[in-house]
Amino acid sequence: MIELTIDNKKVAVEPNTTLLEAANEINVNIPTLCFADDLTVYGGCRLCVVEVEGENRLRPACNTRARQGMVVKTHSPRVREVRETLFELIIASHDISCELNCLTCSRKSSCQLKDVAEDIDVSRMRLEPGDEEEEYDRSSHSIVREPNKCITCARCIRKCEEIQGVGVFAKASRGPETRVTTFKDKGMGNVECTNCGQCVVSCPTGALHEVYHMEKVWDALYDEDKHVIVQTAPSVRVAIAEAFGEEPGTIATGQMVAALRRLGFDRVFDTNFTADLTIMEEGTEVVDRVVNNDRLPVLTSCSPGWIKFIEHFYPEHLENLSSAKSPQQMFGAVAKNYYAEKIGISPDDLVVVSIMPCTAKKFEARRPEMSDDVDYVLTTREAARMLKSVGVNACDLEPEDYDEMLGVSSGAGDIFGASGGVMEAAIRTAYNLITGEELEEIEITPVRGLQGLKTASIPVTEDLTLRVGIAHGLNNAKKMMEKIKAGEEFHFVEFMACPGGCISGGGQPINTELTWQEVRERRIASLYEIDENKEMRRSHLNPKIKKLYEEYLEEPGSAKAHKLLHTDYTVRGVPGA
Amino acid sequence: MLQQDNDILLEMAHDIQDTYGYIPEREITQLAEKFSEPRAKIYGALEFYSMLYTEPTGKYIVRICDSISCFLHDSDEVLEAVQDYLELESGETSDDKLFTLEVVECLGHCGEGPVMMVNDRMYTELTSGRAIEILSECQ
Repeated sequence: MIELTIDNKKVAVEPNTTLLEAANEINVNIPTLCFADDLTVYGGCRLCVVEVEGENRLRPACNTRARQGMVVKTHSPRVREVRETLFELIIASHDISCELNCLTCSRKSSCQLKDVAEDIDVSRMRLEPGDEEEEYDRSSHSIVREPNKCITCARCIRKCEEIQGVGVFAKASRGPETRVTTFKDKGMGNVECTNCGQCVVSCPTGALHEVYHMEKVWDALYDEDKHVIVQTAPSVRVAIAEAFGEEPGTIATGQMVAALRRLGFDRVFDTNFTADLTIMEEGTEVVDRVVNNDRLPVLTSCSPGWIKFIEHFYPEHLENLSSAKSPQQMFGAVAKNYYAEKIGISPDDLVVVSIMPCTAKKFEARRPEMSDDVDYVLTTREAARMLKSVGVNACDLEPEDYDEMLGVSSGAGDIFGASGGVMEAAIRTAYNLITGEELEEIEITPVRGLQGLKTASIPVTEDLTLRVGIAHGLNNAKKMMEKIKAGEEFHFVEFMACPGGCISGGGQPINTELTWQEVRERRIASLYEIDENKEMRRSHLNPKIKKLYEEYLEEPGSAKAHKLLHTDYTVRGVPGA
Repeated sequence: MLQQDNDILLEMAHDIQDTYGYIPEREITQLAEKFSEPRAKIYGALEFYSMLYTEPTGKYIVRICDSISCFLHDSDEVLEAVQDYLELESGETSDDKLFTLEVVECLGHCGEGPVMMVNDRMYTELTSGRAIEILSECQ
C-alpha cells in the first residue's frame, strides 16, 4: 500500500491508484469534465488539477499516480484560482451565451458544465464566447450534433472507439481551432455510425442529442382525425422515473401508462407484447435452423445499433441474422394491419408512436424496408419532457394497466431490456418448441450479468445441448464476431449494441451522479424483478399472442407472419475497414 | 496506435501528398486499412498538421506569416495586397486551381520579415509590390 496525504488527511491506496481515485476514497470531490469512469484517461480538460507539495506545476489528478509520502492539496487557493480560469476558458468555447440557450438545451437538467460551475462556485466570466457560427450536423436520422456546444473533451470519441469499437468521431485541427468531426466532415448520417447514441449519453453538454420527434407527436395528438397509439419498450418503465427525480431502477410501469393516457394517446400498448411475438417468430426460426443445421449460428436482430454495425463491419455474416423484425417494428406491422382491421380504421388514420430507450430505433423506423409501420419514435428522455410540459409527473399517478389487445405480455418480454434477456426469453420458448415440455429452471443465470462476453451450454434433449453466446457493447460484439469467424461454434448468439443492453441505451435519462455501472445494475435488477413477479413468464403462453396467431397470423413462421414480421438486411461495408 | 506507427503514418502521408498534391479520400481509407484504425481517426491525425491537405489545393500554395515579428514589419499590408490580387481569403483556393492562400504562424525568418512562402520557396523582406510581382510570375 502507498500512503499519502490529501487535504491533510492520510490515505492508503493500492499501487497505481490515481490521485482522483485516492481522493474519492476519502470523499474529496475533485471536479472533472473529460474524465469518465468507463473510458481511458484523456487529461484534456485540466479541471482536476491539484497541487503536489515540492512540485512547481499543478498535476491533473485523473492522470497522476499516487506516490509514497505525497502531500496533495486539492482545493488550495492556487488550485481554485487556476481551476476557475480553466473553467472560464472551457466556457468560452461553449456557446452558453446570449440567447438563453441553456433554457432550451437538451441537457438543461443534466448539464455537467452546470455541475462543475456549482462545484467550483464560479464567480466570473471574463471571456466572450467564440462567435464562430458552426453548422449543426443534421445528416443522421437519429442524432444531431451541435458543435457550438462542444468543449472537445473527447468523451464521444473515446466512447465510440473504446466501448463501441466503431470510431466515427475524430479530433481535427489543433489549439483553439480543435474540433470534433466525422471522417472528411461527412456527418454522422453519412459514415459508419450505428446510431447507438452512446456518444449522446457520454457527452457532458448538449453537443449531441437525439433527432426530436416531439413536435410531430404533438401534432398527431392534437389532430382529432388521427387515432394515435403508443408502445413502450421494456427498458423505459425502469428508467423514466429518473427524469422525475427518482432513483435509477424505480419501476413506474403503471404510472407511466396512466401518464401517457393523460398526454392524449388513444391507446397505450406494450412493446413487450411484440417482444413475446418476436420470441415466437425468432424462436421458431432458431429451432428450425438448429434442427436443419442451417446458417448457424443464428444472430439476434432486435438491436438496431447492432444491425447497422453488422451491415457495416461484417456484411458477409448478414445471412446469419435472424430474419425476425425487432419488437418495435413487429408492433408497427401488427398495429397497421391487424389492429387497424380489428377496430375498423384505415391505417392512414392510425399513428404509431414508440417510446424507446434508444436513438437507433429512430433510424430503424425510417428503414425503407419497414414501410413506415412506426411513424414516430420518442426516446425515454423525450417522453419525459413531453409529460413534464403538460404538468404530468410519471411517478405520481395511480397505476393503470396497458390496453389489452396489444398490451399483455409475459415476463420474458420484460427482460429483453437486459443483456442476455432475449436469449433467456428465447430459451424458455425454444425448449418448449423442441421438447413439448416446459423448462423447469426458468431463470437461466449463466446468460445474465454484465460480463462483456457470456457463453453457456443449455441441455435440451439427450442429443441437443444448445450452445449460446451473448455480447453487449459493440466492441464486445466485435470480439464475439471474431470468435465466430475463428470457428467457435454456437447455435444462437445475442447481440446488443449498448453496454448492458437496452437499459443503458442512448435514449435513456442521463444520470450525472452515479457511475454507469451502478445505473445499469439497478435498472437491470428491476427488469428481473418485474419478470419474477409475473405469473406468466413464457412468451408462448401469452394468451393474446395465441389469439393473434389464431385470428390473423396462422402460425409462427407462416407466409403471412413472414410478410409482416420478417425483414432483410443491407450490405453497407466501410471503406477501409 | 503506437508511436512508431504514428511516425510511419506521417511519412506515408507525405509521400502521398508529394504524389497527388494532397491526400485523397481513397488514400485515407487505405491508410485506415493498413493501420487497422477507424478512418475518422486517420483523418483526424492528418488534419492535426496544417501542412497536410485532405482537399485539393492550388498549384501554388502561398503562405504569408502574420506572427509578431512580421506583423511589426507591416505584414498585414502585404497580406491585404495579396488577398486583393488573388481575390482569395485565407484557406481558399482559386477557381482555376492555381493558388491557395494561407495565413500562417512563424516561418522561421523573423529577422527578415515580412516573409512569404510559395510552395517550397521562401521570400523575405517583402513589400506589397514585390509580393505581387512574384505571384504574377506564377503560371
